[in-house]
Amino acid sequence: MTAVATPARTRPGFGATLRAEWIKFWTVRSTPWSLGAMLVLGAGLTTLVCALSADALAREDLGEPVGAFVTWGIVFAQVTAVVLGALVVTGEYGTGMVRATLTATPRRGAVLAAKAVVLASTLFVAGTLTALAGWLGGNWFLDRAGVGLALTDDGVLRALFGSGLYMAGLGLFAAAVGLLVRHTAAALSIVLGLVFVVGNLVMVLPGAWGEWTTKLMPGNAGSRIATPESFNPLLLGPWVGFAVFAAEVAAVLAVAAVTFTRRDA
Amino acid sequence: MITADRLTKTYGDRTAVDGISFTVQPGRVTGFLGPNGAGKSTTMRMVLGLDRPTSGSVTVGGRRYADSPAPLREVGALLEARSVHPGRSARDHLRWLAASNAIPAGRVDEVLELVGLTAVAGQRAGRFSLGMGQRLGIAAALLGDPPVVVLDEPVNGLDPEGIRWVRTLARQLAAEGRTVFVSSHLMSEMALTADHLVVIGRGRVLADCSTAEFTAAHAASHVRVRSPQPDQVATLLRRAGLDVAVHDGELRVQGRDAAAVGELVGRSGLLLHELTLVRSSLEDAFMTLTADSVEYAGASR
Repeated sequence: MTAVATPARTRPGFGATLRAEWIKFWTVRSTPWSLGAMLVLGAGLTTLVCALSADALAREDLGEPVGAFVTWGIVFAQVTAVVLGALVVTGEYGTGMVRATLTATPRRGAVLAAKAVVLASTLFVAGTLTALAGWLGGNWFLDRAGVGLALTDDGVLRALFGSGLYMAGLGLFAAAVGLLVRHTAAALSIVLGLVFVVGNLVMVLPGAWGEWTTKLMPGNAGSRIATPESFNPLLLGPWVGFAVFAAEVAAVLAVAAVTFTRRDA
Repeated sequence: MITADRLTKTYGDRTAVDGISFTVQPGRVTGFLGPNGAGKSTTMRMVLGLDRPTSGSVTVGGRRYADSPAPLREVGALLEARSVHPGRSARDHLRWLAASNAIPAGRVDEVLELVGLTAVAGQRAGRFSLGMGQRLGIAAALLGDPPVVVLDEPVNGLDPEGIRWVRTLARQLAAEGRTVFVSSHLMSEMALTADHLVVIGRGRVLADCSTAEFTAAHAASHVRVRSPQPDQVATLLRRAGLDVAVHDGELRVQGRDAAAVGELVGRSGLLLHELTLVRSSLEDAFMTLTADSVEYAGASR
């Protein structure tokens, strides 16, 4: 009888939920794989493209801003943030583990908040480090051609941290969509489709209509902060664009949160 | 203690659980019995706050599960469908569960030992056999040393040894004073494990009584008698006040045991070819009781 009727000794608060989500996040292989892929794609492709175009940039053959090259790989690395964000949620639905999660922590708002904190903070750090590594690698070639950018140059430091912010936002966006559709492939198709396909297709829409939908599409609005200069002069400014992106992510996340707290698990 | 009060769940126009009320008392094993699709799992999910009742309520220890600050320390649950990520090791699965309810990390190795998974604790759960998966689920249920234990179809996929292990465990947990609520679609298993039964079919409670009462009420027995002189034997037994029915050549006698029937016939000098006590199984009783409520009864639907 000794084991029976043990009252809750310490009431586990949000810290406990956060610790649980942190352990879950780091004990599946998709996490190190996604983050490793982010680093390889982001830093590797930036370094590669800088190495290949440094001389042309120095001769001004390309007519493109050098600032658009030092975080070039982020465009591809963002796929990994989407994958990781979606898997954090859909991995639970696909395996039925969400039932264990919600029996352990019935306060669904707390579960969602803890997931968001773990995902966003990790992606922020990983995105920033990826951009930093890419800049270190790529700039080495640019410096040799005499067109390197210092951290103190306009927008460079902002772009490095901006890469982290953009990755975090994108991960949350994918997680929110994952919560709504509860299916990995569907979530990935929707988010990657919006960012890579629809975001570029709307550019061909005529007139002001096309211009503004282009500016406002999440991938277009949010990614400008991750690069010192953009290939596309039409885009919103870095911080305005990121504010629009953050608002879009927050809106989807809010709908997902309401659905999550009301729907049967 | 678990208390369901007019608990109802509908999905569209289909009613999965139809206003059921029952109480699960501490200190004994309560079997939750019903054919597949009777609403057992839906009820279990509502007990654990995973599904929201359409109407009515269910409480554990007097409050809704979702209102518990540390639910794993109050209710341990094994859910029917697997709820483990296949890529995570057994130990890591228990580690995050422990962290979520501020359960000391040392408890993880204790429950692994208890269910006999210590040697494979570092292996990914996806490689586990069905039986090992069930053991991991039971380890998770016992992690918080809870006074209430809910096991949904715990013997599914277990070998005979595993089945006996679960049976012993459930009885032991109840003997420790805990509330133990075990669902199953196997009457024979429940007859061995449960002290009390709540039988449901098509979302309604069909019986709520002790296992002994259920057996007495539903499992009839008779003595089968075969004789080359069936008519004389039947007359003899009827004259002795026994209830005799004739079924193609055999007599089914109720009212006395086989020994008494044998003596009666023997003293009269009539011939006997067979004298057998036939007990209709609890499984038969259960089938009869739930016959109307089976969701997929052969080709009838």
